[in-house]
Amino acid sequence: MSLEISGLRVAVEEKEILKGIDLDVRPGKVHALMGPNGSGKSTLAFAMSGHPNYKVLDGSVRLDGEELIGLAPDKRAKAGLFLSFQYPAAIPGVSVANFIRSARMALRPDDLPPAKFRKMIFDQLDVLDMDPAFLSRYVNDGFSGGEKKRLEMLQLAMLQPKYAVLDETDSGLDVDALQSVGRSINALRATEAGADAAFLIITHYPRILSYIPADVVHIMMDGRIVKTGGPELANLIEREGYDKIRDEVASSVA
Amino acid sequence: MPSITVPPPTAIAFVPTPGTLEAALAFLDRAGAGSGSAVAAADRRAAFAAYGVLPVAGGFPGRSWRYDYAKLPFDALQWSSGRRSVPTMPFAAPAAADLDADRPALATENAGGLVHLGATLLEGPGPTSTDPRVIVTSLADALRDHAELLTPVLHQIVDPHADRFAALTTAFQNCGAFVYVPDDVVVEAPIQLLFVNGEAQAAAVFPHVAIVLGAGARATVIERHAGEGDAFVCGIVEAHVGAGASLDVVSIQQADPEARIFASRGARCERDATMRWHLAELGGGLARSVVTTALTGEGAAGEASALFFTGATQHVDLTVHTDHRVGQTTSNTVVRSAATDRGQGRFFGNIAIRKQAHGSDASLRDDALLLSKAAHIDSVPALEIAANDVKAFHGATVGSVDDEQLFYARSRGITRPDALRMIALGFFEPVVSRFPGERLRDEIRTALDAKIDAATEID
Repeated sequence: MSLEISGLRVAVEEKEILKGIDLDVRPGKVHALMGPNGSGKSTLAFAMSGHPNYKVLDGSVRLDGEELIGLAPDKRAKAGLFLSFQYPAAIPGVSVANFIRSARMALRPDDLPPAKFRKMIFDQLDVLDMDPAFLSRYVNDGFSGGEKKRLEMLQLAMLQPKYAVLDETDSGLDVDALQSVGRSINALRATEAGADAAFLIITHYPRILSYIPADVVHIMMDGRIVKTGGPELANLIEREGYDKIRDEVASSVA
Repeated sequence: MPSITVPPPTAIAFVPTPGTLEAALAFLDRAGAGSGSAVAAADRRAAFAAYGVLPVAGGFPGRSWRYDYAKLPFDALQWSSGRRSVPTMPFAAPAAADLDADRPALATENAGGLVHLGATLLEGPGPTSTDPRVIVTSLADALRDHAELLTPVLHQIVDPHADRFAALTTAFQNCGAFVYVPDDVVVEAPIQLLFVNGEAQAAAVFPHVAIVLGAGARATVIERHAGEGDAFVCGIVEAHVGAGASLDVVSIQQADPEARIFASRGARCERDATMRWHLAELGGGLARSVVTTALTGEGAAGEASALFFTGATQHVDLTVHTDHRVGQTTSNTVVRSAATDRGQGRFFGNIAIRKQAHGSDASLRDDALLLSKAAHIDSVPALEIAANDVKAFHGATVGSVDDEQLFYARSRGITRPDALRMIALGFFEPVVSRFPGERLRDEIRTALDAKIDAATEID
């Protein structure tokens, strides 16, 4: 049981961005994937989710043994993968409630009667400090950056995936919003359904990790994972930035 | 000598020729007061003469547009005019209480209405108005009983010689309705005008609807076109909205896929009057609708919300024209359209702001969604501004479903067909949400959903 990425090479518009990624995320664990801008972190997220613009050249992504590469994005979601988007699309005319209900029905048909769904979504709104009026707004339409991220977290909580990839969920969030996000994820992990959920948190800055402590930290540079360690690695980045690791990697290659 | 009585024909074969017009006039003469005629013979002849010479606007065949309006086939159509008693009126069940407080509510009952089967007026125990001063009757009866109310507006708002189709309606008018709401009377429940066609007879139907709202009055009129068979329906709707009055006209067109359906709709808005058109063109093989709103009094407001969805080989041709004749008038036009399979659509939006119409504010927004490769929608918005110191906006888009929206929905487990359906239905929502009453909005959402179900290709 794990989300196992091996030898993953991905190109965007003929340019190879990911040059062989190996990563193994076990149930219940929190992995942080850190790296400077342009290192390929978001590319990994999109490639795993099956975005048509990201072409897999080689390698595999197996979710509890099931190969995801080649599957449609909705099939990957059904397998148990969730991506929290850095820039989620707006879907005008489709209410948040309708969207989440449709997604939940698609992933787990008939498991939640409407009344229970309603209670669950209101509880989650509370955790995320969101007004119930949010539910009748159109998906991401005219949302602020913080509202978009909160909606991603609301979906995460409502869809209860096995493996969640959070792409820069912390970017553009103020401290209050970041706290809400942390609270939401920790609340999810505290439930029976969420106890085995694993997270791959893609981030530029370590601050989100003070709300959701990582078990494993990976550093990505130029399409490769160059260093893997414990939470102390995030602290190192906090203190010294990426330059030191860059130099270290350069000298070890040389 | 024994006299031989020949029973009068119940219908005549319709083709737009002088011979048919004379046969129609003879038919109406025989039917007398029992017919639905509200146009004098001389006016019919004049209109028919105009029909012959008026230019054909719009409908020229193109690469995928099949119809030439100058060469529409009229085979096997039946023209008649009359009325028939029926034991019950086929109105929809009473509406649930409406949640909108600030809209003319579609409350728990209908405030009167008329049902036509083809051009035959069905008469029976229908819903009645809550206020006895409100008039809902056939146009022919109105001309006889309420001439002083009808004649100031009849043919005054939609020019019977405006184009070929308005002229054709006038020449062959065989049914219609008159709605009158006196000064300061508020009719909460909708007044329903139902035009249904039967499969048995391909009817040629020429309805003329006149609506008059007195000063400060408020009403909602729902006009529905439904039924089966390849009918030819060509009608006029004209509305006078008195000072400070507020009129909502809802038109839901769900005619048979074989039907051809034409409408010339017009409104005249006095000082501080509000006219709201809500149009849903969903059915018909060929549907053409022209909506003209004249803002003739300061403070008048015109709103047009229209949607159409063409599937199979359907053609829809929609024109929305707003004429700001005086200053301090506002208008707002929102159009959403989609096409699947080989569906064809065209939208002409036009806003005119006259020279003296200072301080006017107009906006026109039109968006089209193409859901298959062979589907096509043309969009032509236009502004003619002759005044200074006005606010005017227009914008139009034609496109297919956005890949990022699709990916986002699919990443949540929603299948591609379901995601397309969701995005397409959402696309219409800005127009659907402007229809009055949740029940009506849900009815339209359901109809749009059924259009998506019926499509063989959605992409």
